[in-house]
This record gives sequence, structure tokens and C-alpha cells, in this order.
Amino acid sequence: MGLVVLLGVSGGLFARRALFLTRLVLAGKPVDRRGDVARRVRNEAVIVLGQRKLLQRLVPGLMHAFVFWGFLVLFPTIVMAMIAAVDRHQGIPWLSRQGWFAFLVDLFVLLVAVGVGYAVVNRVVVRPERFEGSHARDAYVILALIAGVVTTLLLWHASAIATGLAEWPRGDSFLANPISHVLPSSGVLERVLVWAHLCFVLGFLTYLPHSKHLHIATAAVNVWFARTRGRGRLEPLRFDVPDEELRFGAATIFDLTRKEVLDGLSCTECGRCQDACPAHATGKVLNPKLLIMGIRDQVLARDSGPILGNAVPEEMIWDCVTCGACVEACPVSIEHVDHIVDLRRSRVMVDSKFPAEAEPMLRDVERASNPWGKPQTERAAWAAELGVRVLEPGDPAPEVLYWVGCAASFDERAKRSAESTAKLLQKAGVDFAILGPRESCTGDPARRMGNEYVFQSFAEQNVATLNEQGVTKIVASCPHCFNTLANEYGDFGGNYEVVHHTELLAELVRDGKLEPKAGAKKITYHDSCYLARHNDVRMEPRELVAAVGQPVEMKRSGRQTFCCGAGGAHMWMEERGTPISEERAREAAATGAETLAVACPFCTVMLDDGVKGVGAELRVADVATLLAESLDA
Amino acid sequence: MSVLVFVEGDELSLQALTLARTLGEVKAVTLDGPYAPAAWAAAIVEASRGMDAIVAAGSDHGNELLAHVAARLDQPFAANVTAVDGDVVTRVRWGGSLIEQARLHGSPKILTVAPHTQPAAEAVPVERLVVPADADASVRVLETVSESGGGVSLRDAKVVVSGGRGVGSAEGFAIIEELAGLLGGAVGCSRVVTSAGWRPHADQVGQTGTKISADLYVACGISGATQHIAGAKGAKKILAINDDAEAPIFASADYAVVGDLHEIVPAISAELRRVRGQ
Amino acid sequence: MRILVCVKRVPMTGGKMVLTADEQAIETKHLGFTISPHEECGVEEAVRLVEAHGGETVVLTLGPAEAEEQLRDCMATGADRGILLKTDGADWDAQSTASAIVDAVRTLQEDAAPFDLILFGNESADTGNYQVGIRVAHALGLPVVNGLKKIELQDGSVRCERDAGGARDVYVVPTPAVLSVLEGLNLPRYPSVPGRLRAKGKPLAVVEPARPAQKLEKLRLVVPPGQGKQAEILGRGPEAAAKVVELMQSLGVA
Repeated sequence: MGLVVLLGVSGGLFARRALFLTRLVLAGKPVDRRGDVARRVRNEAVIVLGQRKLLQRLVPGLMHAFVFWGFLVLFPTIVMAMIAAVDRHQGIPWLSRQGWFAFLVDLFVLLVAVGVGYAVVNRVVVRPERFEGSHARDAYVILALIAGVVTTLLLWHASAIATGLAEWPRGDSFLANPISHVLPSSGVLERVLVWAHLCFVLGFLTYLPHSKHLHIATAAVNVWFARTRGRGRLEPLRFDVPDEELRFGAATIFDLTRKEVLDGLSCTECGRCQDACPAHATGKVLNPKLLIMGIRDQVLARDSGPILGNAVPEEMIWDCVTCGACVEACPVSIEHVDHIVDLRRSRVMVDSKFPAEAEPMLRDVERASNPWGKPQTERAAWAAELGVRVLEPGDPAPEVLYWVGCAASFDERAKRSAESTAKLLQKAGVDFAILGPRESCTGDPARRMGNEYVFQSFAEQNVATLNEQGVTKIVASCPHCFNTLANEYGDFGGNYEVVHHTELLAELVRDGKLEPKAGAKKITYHDSCYLARHNDVRMEPRELVAAVGQPVEMKRSGRQTFCCGAGGAHMWMEERGTPISEERAREAAATGAETLAVACPFCTVMLDDGVKGVGAELRVADVATLLAESLDA
Repeated sequence: MSVLVFVEGDELSLQALTLARTLGEVKAVTLDGPYAPAAWAAAIVEASRGMDAIVAAGSDHGNELLAHVAARLDQPFAANVTAVDGDVVTRVRWGGSLIEQARLHGSPKILTVAPHTQPAAEAVPVERLVVPADADASVRVLETVSESGGGVSLRDAKVVVSGGRGVGSAEGFAIIEELAGLLGGAVGCSRVVTSAGWRPHADQVGQTGTKISADLYVACGISGATQHIAGAKGAKKILAINDDAEAPIFASADYAVVGDLHEIVPAISAELRRVRGQ
Repeated sequence: MRILVCVKRVPMTGGKMVLTADEQAIETKHLGFTISPHEECGVEEAVRLVEAHGGETVVLTLGPAEAEEQLRDCMATGADRGILLKTDGADWDAQSTASAIVDAVRTLQEDAAPFDLILFGNESADTGNYQVGIRVAHALGLPVVNGLKKIELQDGSVRCERDAGGARDVYVVPTPAVLSVLEGLNLPRYPSVPGRLRAKGKPLAVVEPARPAQKLEKLRLVVPPGQGKQAEILGRGPEAAAKVVELMQSLGVA
């Protein structure tokens, strides 16, 4: 009877809160995250069950894994406790008599205790910076409850053994058994302990949806609905809406998508995103953890006022370089970049309030078709001397279209990579051409800035040009162009096979069409965020670097690469405090390399400035340029 | 031809006089008192009876006055002319980046002379006109208020050191200000800089900003759009500093230094201090 | 109150002038278009005045069919209606431009209140004739003040400021009046997306005036020889500082 009451009360409280939270999520705008089921299942296995992201930090990850796996393994013991509360002689048929299960239970009780113990030591003694701003009290309550659950479980089992009630072979209970020897063989004690255990468990159940421990219910769901491919893609908006619905982006909590609300409810305040964020690392206001926590708190409080200036300081959203390090680090697949871009969208498109220095770029992109406001007639000037074919309307499509991008067409330092790439493609006999003045900005800077409207007009225009020209395969030297062409233009009818220039060049080297000569120079390769993290291109540039020099890796490389600082339209925005590019330049210089190889025009410019800023002796050069030089040598 | 020339006692008027002389016999006139464009134009129209041409400098006042004159006479008016050959005038468009040749049908020929395209003439005797009694002087300068903020006026400065997109930020202008200060000059900027909010519009050199007439214009990190050149070409000499050897500014500059302005500008300041023994 | 702002569609030329083969126009293939910065400030000023005092802003242009793009841009920042005096794209000299505008204004004022203010840019970015506003004012019998950097509406009149060598000249004229403004008058707002979407549906009237004989008749355009001048390279990088200072000394400015 008592059990029914206890279950009813705690279950009821839990259900009521769960319903409230579910409604919050469903009140958000729908987002299409169907499809790709195989990969979603794989993510559940690897990220949730396998704890892969957590294990990036081996010790804390392992400790958490103990607690999480412990929760899974020990779950049947909760059912056993409930059955035993009604009839002390009953357990779960078959399972309650398995010695191996008894062994596992005691093992995981131990591991959970170790995990909890480590967590307490971490918080009290080590005090990592990533916990700054997180709610410590909530954490301690949860740790205490977990400790209480496993302690009462162990003691109850010991007491059950002591009173002869346990069904499994006591020899397998390597912890409960010894303890049972020091416990009185008291039926009352056993009853007290089983009820204490149930109180802890059901008390935890009631507390759970009011704390960040909610993540045990939401995390698996959030991981399921995370993007599986094309992680650099942002969700498009519709502009053909009636006048009453002219709201774009997120101004209040009612504008958030379902995934964004779920993100907030999944956050464990672990701070791994904060640690990974290059803006945070260089002293900016942005803190991805506090951003998500702030939004979550405003959602839970049903505060209908604006999010910016309230839950989230306005400066935060402009500090972001959209590098995705936060998303990569997050063990529960929160997608911080979407929140930031949605907040930007409202500011830029509805309020027209954004950093003034970005206005010339937005106006230039829209009117002059490139963010530097240079005349499009000059776009192919770099190519003229090289005899690169410029496609005219009506010309047959080349085998591969070389999408040069605005930076490589107009920026002095970035042009070299275009020149090198063109020479290499010519040398290898590839049938390629460029669009020249008909190549407009892909719209990436406008989109990351939050001006989705301008972006879409360029997407539509470029897709029309490419489709009319019959283009099927594109090679891009800029990872931002690459990301947009490969992942985002599909929403506008543009479906092409898109490769990065390092991928194509690596293929040509493998096929023997280009024969680089090995070199002795130490080269460290900087992974571009939009290439390595958003789009998983990490191997091919390294193949090329290894072919022309002696590679040496930076610590933050591959998926964990550290941004150059140009993303999120920051190429055109002011940066206060320590430049992100200098932080990265220091890291590169510390490898002792002579050359810093890059694969992106933005990285080229930013890191060149960064290297000069810290006074390092490093040559910054695109992989294509290094390859071209090795062929000439 | 008889030519009526409106002068204002400034160098541009003397330049206008040079062109006017090539057309025929000149009679120079001016007006005193608070500037009242419509009323002054009435006086000029009176004084131009029987004359074949009316000329003035292509200054703010010159263009405005002759536009009023042309409207009163319902005759065409060619602004900023550089040469006249019969009834074909050569005039500037785009602040000087493009030249137009046009036929001026009309009598008298009304035109202003593009600044800094003619040498200054010797001064001549000037007749002071009187505004006709029935002229509408409702539009006139009532008072003049001084601008807050001292410093060298951009328009009058002998040296202007100017920064563009290449400077990178508002704080980046510190080195520009330093050099301008050492040379006793004014700080200028391009339109991108004012749009980005790094400098006030008052510092903008360009077709829609201030047109300078300095002895030396130093353009740092400015690419050289035609609209900017339009404001700078009044300078006697232009030195361009830019890391892009192909920037359009080099096609309008007299001297060039290729490289990073953040290194070059402080180096120039340091060298100036060194030769001054500081 | 009713304010009319007149604007002109001009190409964004960048660093070089390239002409069409017949030397009659700038080659505009691949170039973007805009209105002059003076006019942007005029539109912004009008929109602000109407926001403060109520009424409407009408924006007008004489230009080809494509100039609708510029009118919609102005409507996106707040102008209420647009008038396109449609041409075939040929140049119209200042006199014919002014007379077409005057006809349009008379029509617009027929069944409605007269405009309190008619705003122009001080000069157009391309032809730079400096006279259209003044001619329109004469034809309509209105006072006109040029080159303005500040406008303040008063009761039945407008107080305006104009730069005059380091100081500001002040004019006060009765409304209705014609005012021509300069960039620096204000900071034009960035159009919002709701503004742009609404602009698509705002009324735009099209009239096709007949082009009279041109009294300032363009014969041809010429790119000045100065372009393509070869600057004397004093050096590269900070090492050039010494030569720069020598130059400055020789010019008498150092």
C-alpha cells in the first residue's frame, strides 16, 4: 500500500513536470530532423552508450561513464526493491538468482561510488574553470542523491543477505557479503533499508526534472535529433509569410525551435563548450555554457521578454565565430551555433541592430555581389595571365567548375592559393573553368551574420547560374564556400558534387598526375573549422603536407582544431581583447615548425596577421601553394 | 565674346578667370553681404544683359548661383567645365573620374569651371553689384554658427593623412593621427570607414564628403574607388600606401609605397622624429 | 506632412571607368546599382520627419525600368509610395529632368495637399550637374537651399545648416520649400526584412514622359588619361620611410 502511495506521489509529480517540459519543447518551431536513421542509431550507440565525447577528457569522462553505466546496470535493482517492498521474499524471476548479476551490481556500486567521489574531489579541490557559472548546489544535491541511492542499495543487499532473504549466491556479492557479516540479522533493518532506498530513488525521480539531472531523460533524445551530416548547415527560413507573421530569428523564447528548447533542457552545465570556445579563451564576453543556461532559465520561467539583454548579454552573440567547437565538445549534442545565429537573425533582419562595422560588408555583398564592394568585372583578373578558361553563358560545362570565392579573387594574400590551384589543375590536365564575374558571393558572410534574406537571394541566384550552366561537379578552395555549396545550396535546388581543393589535389597526387618532391621543412597544418569540424575533411590536406615536408601536429587539431578567428562574419568585425588569430599563431609557433600550412583564404589572412602580431618566424601558406612550389623545385 | 565672371576673392575664382579669358573679354563682378543665392542670381542676370557668356568657379556658391541664373533665364548650364571649343564644352562627371563632351545649346553660355583644372589668373578689377530692390532675398544666410571641435580643417589642411578599410579598426587610426599630428595636418578617411562607424563623416574625403586641396595627400589602406579619388584629386601630390600592388589608388597616385601600413606609417613617424632630432 | 524625395539610379563603378564601345555610357555589365549617398540621407531624413510628424514620404526617380529596384530600396527604409518616370535609359539633361519632375509634382499635388518639402541630393553621383533641385524650385515658385547638413522643422518654416569653411551658415525659409542635402545629414538606417517585404507591396506608379531635345547635349564620354598613371614607387615596407620623409621635405610639408 505504502509503495502505491509513494509511487503515486512521486510518479505523479514527475509526470506533471515532464508534461510541462514536453509541452515547452513542442511549443517550439518544428525543425526537420528526420532521415538518416542509421547514423542516428550509431550516434546513440557511440555518443550516449559509448560516452565518446565525454571520454575526450579521459578521467572525468571515465568517472561519468561509471555513473552512467552504473545507472543502466543497476536499473533492475530498483524494480527488485519495489517488488521486495511489497513481498520481501520476491525478486525478479531468474535475474534475482544470477550470481554474475550480483557481481555486476556490486562492481557498479563500487564504480559509481568512485565516480561520485571523484566528482566531489574535482569540484571541491581541483575546481576546473569550466564549472564557473554552473550551479554548484544543484550538482552537490545530485551527487548526494546518487551516493544515497547506491549506499542504501548496498546496505539493503547486505542486510538481505544477513537476514537470509537474498536469492543470489552471496559469494558473488563481493561487497555486500562482507558487509552482511557486520550487520545484525534484523528484519526491521532490512525493511528500513529497502524503504530508505526507495525513498532515495523516488525522491530523486521527483527532484530530477527540476534540476540539470533532467539530462538523463533528454540527452538521448537530443542526440537523436542532432544533425547527422552537413553539420555546417543552418536551417533556412521562409519569407513568403503574411504580414502578421513577420518575425525572423529568435527574439523571445516563443521564437525558439523545438531542438533549441530541448538543447536547454539537456544541458548539464559541464562547461566543456566553454573550455573549447576560442572567443572565451581570448577573454571575450561569449560563454556558450552561460548562453544555453540563460536561454533555458528564461524558457523555464516563461519570461516573454526579449532574450538579449535579459538571459543573454547582447555582446555574446557578436563574439561568436561559428567555429562549432562548442557543438563538437558537447556530450549531449547541444547545437549552440544555431541559437546564436537565430538570435543574430532577429537583430539583423528585424531590428537592424548589429555592429556598425559589419554594415558596409552587408551592403557591399548585396549591391556589389562581394563583401569587399569591389567591381565584379575585376573578379577574374588574377586568372587572366594564367589563361584560365572563363565560362560564358551557353558554353558547355567543364568536368569540374572551380569556385574561386570572393577572398581568393580579391584579397592580395589569398589570391596566391587560387593561382597555385589553377596552375596545379592545369598541370594535371584537369578540364576546369571558372565563372569569373558571374560568380557572386555564396552569401556565407551574410548568412552567418544573420541576414538570411540576403543569403537566400544569393543562393537562388548562384543556383540558377550553376544549373543553367549544367554544372555537376565543383571544386572550392574556400571552406566557407565549400560548406555552403555542399550543404546549404541543396535547400535551394542546387545539388552538386562538391570537393575541397585539397581533396582534389590529394586525389591527383595519389593518381600520379602530380608528383611532389619530398621536402625537409617542418610544416604544421592548421585545420579550418569549416573543413575539419563541420565537414570532416582532415586526411587529404595532411597527405599533401606529408608529401612536401615534415609534418608536425598542433595539440588542438582535427576535430578539436582551434579557430583562426574569421568565421561568423568576423573577417569584417572588430575584435576586442586578444585576437583569436594570435592565440592560434602562438600555438603554431610552439611546434617549432617553419611553415604554417592552411587550406582556407580566411585562415591565410587571419593567421598571417596573427603571426605578425606575435612576432613569430612562421611562413603562412596554402597547401596548394606549397604543393605548387614543390613541383617547380 | 563678352564674358561676365562672378568672382569671390578665392583661388578658384582666379582659376575660373583664366578659362573665361580664353572665351573673350571679361568683366568681373561680385556681391557683398550675407549670401543670398536667389537674390544674388537676380543681380547677376541683370548685369549679364547683352553678354555672351556667364562664368563662375565650380565651387559651392559658384555652381549654386549659376544654376539659379540658368533657371531664371531658362537656359542650359554646364557645371565643372574644363575646356570650351565653340559651343562644345568638356566637363567632368563622377567627380572627375570621367569626362563628358557636350554641345551647349543656349545663349548666353552659362558654365562653371572645374576646380584645379586651370592655373590662377592675375587678379582684375571687380565691379560690386547691388541686389535689385525687388529681388527675393528670403533665402539668405541669417547667421553663422561655429563648429565645435578645433583641429585643422580638412578642407584647408596643407597635409591630409587618410585611412581606409586597411586600417582595420577605430583604434587603428592612432598611427594615422600620429603622423597627421607630426605634419600639422588633418586626418581623413574613406567612406567605408565612416560607414563602419570608426570616424565621423566630417573626416570623410570623397565625392560626397570633403574635397581637399592639400599639398600632400597620404592615402593609407585605401583601395581607391573613383568616389574617393574625386575628393582627393584636388591635392597637389598623392602618396598611396597599400599592401595590394594592384589597388586602383596607385593609378591615381604620384608616389607609392607597397606594404603593410601598420608597419610603414609608424616607421615614417619615427623617421620624421629622427630627422627633427627628437 | 508630405515629403517628396528625388533619387537617381547610378552604377557602383569601383576603381576604374570602362565605357561601352559607342562611348555613350559606362559599361554596367556585372556592376551593382545604388542611389547617391546624398540621396540616401535625404530619404532617411524624410522618413524620420514623417515618423515624427505623421504624413507620407513619396520617392521619385527618372530612370529606366530597372530603377524600380532603387525605389523599392527606398520604400524598404520607410518611404510610402514610389513614382517612376520611365525612360529608355538614355541620359536626360538637367533641364529636361527638372521639367519632367515638375510635371510629376504638379500631378501629385492636383488632388492632394502640396508637398511640405521636396528633397534632392546636392548633385547626382554620375552627371554632377548641381542644378535639378534649383530648376524645380524656380518652376514651382518655391524657395531652395542647397548643401545642407542639418534640417530642423519649425512651425511653417524650416531651419537649415550648411557648411561654410569650419563653421555653419544658417538659413530659415518658409515651407513649402526645396532642399538639397549632403551626405553627413544623418546616418541612414539599414532596411529591415519586414520593411523590404512590405516594400514589395507598396504602390508604385509609372509614367512615361516624352524626352525633349537636349540643350546640354552629350556627344561622347572619355576616360581621362590620368587613369593608368604610373606612381613612382618609393619602396616597399617600412624601409621606405626614409625616402618618404625626403619626399615630404622636398614638398615643404615635413
